[in-house]
Amino acid sequence: MGAVRAEFIKLKRSLSWTVVVLLPVAMVIAGAVNSLVSGESPEDGWPTMWLRSVVFYGLFPLAIGIGILASLVWRVEHRGGNWNALMSGPTSSMRIVAAKAVVVAVLAAAMQAVLFLTVTVIGSFVFAIPGPPPGRYAAVSLLIIIACLPVAVLQSGLSMLMRSFAAPIAVAFLGAGAAVVLLLAGLDAAIFVVPYALISRATQLGTGTFSDTGAITGGDVVSIVTAALVLTTALLTATTAILDRRDTRT
Amino acid sequence: MNGRAGANEARAVGALARADGWGTMANRWAAVANEFAKMRHLRMGVVASVMVIIVVGLSVGSAATSPAFAEAAGRSWEALLAGMSLAVPLASPLLLAVMASRQVDIEHQGNGWLLSQTSGLTPGGLCRIKLLAVGIVVAAATVLESVLLLGAGLLLGVPDPVPAGLWAGYTASVSVANLVVLALHILLSARIDNQLVGLGIGVLGTIVAVFATALPPAAAHVTPWGYYALAAAAGYEGERLVAMTPAYGSIAALGVVAAAFFLFITGRSGWKEG
Repeated sequence: MGAVRAEFIKLKRSLSWTVVVLLPVAMVIAGAVNSLVSGESPEDGWPTMWLRSVVFYGLFPLAIGIGILASLVWRVEHRGGNWNALMSGPTSSMRIVAAKAVVVAVLAAAMQAVLFLTVTVIGSFVFAIPGPPPGRYAAVSLLIIIACLPVAVLQSGLSMLMRSFAAPIAVAFLGAGAAVVLLLAGLDAAIFVVPYALISRATQLGTGTFSDTGAITGGDVVSIVTAALVLTTALLTATTAILDRRDTRT
Repeated sequence: MNGRAGANEARAVGALARADGWGTMANRWAAVANEFAKMRHLRMGVVASVMVIIVVGLSVGSAATSPAFAEAAGRSWEALLAGMSLAVPLASPLLLAVMASRQVDIEHQGNGWLLSQTSGLTPGGLCRIKLLAVGIVVAAATVLESVLLLGAGLLLGVPDPVPAGLWAGYTASVSVANLVVLALHILLSARIDNQLVGLGIGVLGTIVAVFATALPPAAAHVTPWGYYALAAAAGYEGERLVAMTPAYGSIAALGVVAAAFFLFITGRSGWKEG
């Protein structure tokens, strides 16, 4: 746990909270302004509110948000002599990789919590939708958090390999774009191979968009959780193996 | 820095030593060549290619998945232009932010601002050179996007004649919007060392650009990203696909105002502590 705690201390001055708060809030507000300007309030209440806020968010802003968070977490290691300090320290590659990924995943989970909260507040107060959002959206949020795990590991690995801040974010964008094309083509099996497709699929769950049927089945839930666990394990192993072969830089 | 960049830097340094703020004509081109050498090192070609691939892919993809496109007779240039009018605002703001951020951040990292300043190129002058160099790449990428989409339409056998005027006008409008957003990000990245700020604004810009199509035109005029919506050459009115005329006047005005602003900011001495 020491490594994870150290990572959270490093985060304190990284401004990562701005991403965690601003990105989801901006997405929900953009959706709401769009609805207000076109003069239509969500007719059937929470389902439309959720669809407008979350589906677009899952297509690429979420992947980019995780990419930015991962770059922020690794940025400090690429500065000054920190990389060499990291390489010559007693912490094993596995623990470094896992600790960084945990931090990114926790921030991604916080982003989802902010999104859920903002949807609730805007839905209740701006559009006066009666009652709280149905429980299934809390459950979908939990699934989205799980689906973010492999993306967090992948982006953390990319930001570890690339010293540039922006390059891994461009990769996330390209990956998210490819995932949209795969899902548009109805290739849902892509969620087992492409982590970006997994988060897009999870955010579409129960909305009836893309190839989603609108109903949340046990099969959907099981395949999302399985894909998340398999991809996370594979990516963690791969990233650790890569870091093991890295050395100090001169 | 690689060898070629170093050699170019030396040449630019020597040439600029005798010049004011951003040098004489020949010196400027030496400095631009220097930026191109840096770009090669920064793999800016890859980022620009990503932008072209995403725009062309999404444009063709969104047109091809519309039901009218299933049969050859239903295929129209409007569908492709509508696809591009959606794909450009989706892909450009963030990737332009990435390009500006990379090209400017190397000066923060190696304190290139000071090196340039000692050779007579002020930080403002260096920003102008960067806009010129990256701008050439961005303009070329924008034209390439447009030409590739045109080629895709011809391959798919769109029956109508090519609306050449609208196509050229749209390409020019998007180029202006792209260059203005690029200029803004170069200034931002130069001013603020933390790349999070520039990229964060790039993400917010994407959201503004995508949703600006739904806003009234007056609201779209307020931010540079809104002009992607004003440039739209085709779109859906309800269910119906219609050709539109880009708001040429507004886009030209944006270009002039942004150019004046950029020259003013980069011309002020001490706007950025070197």
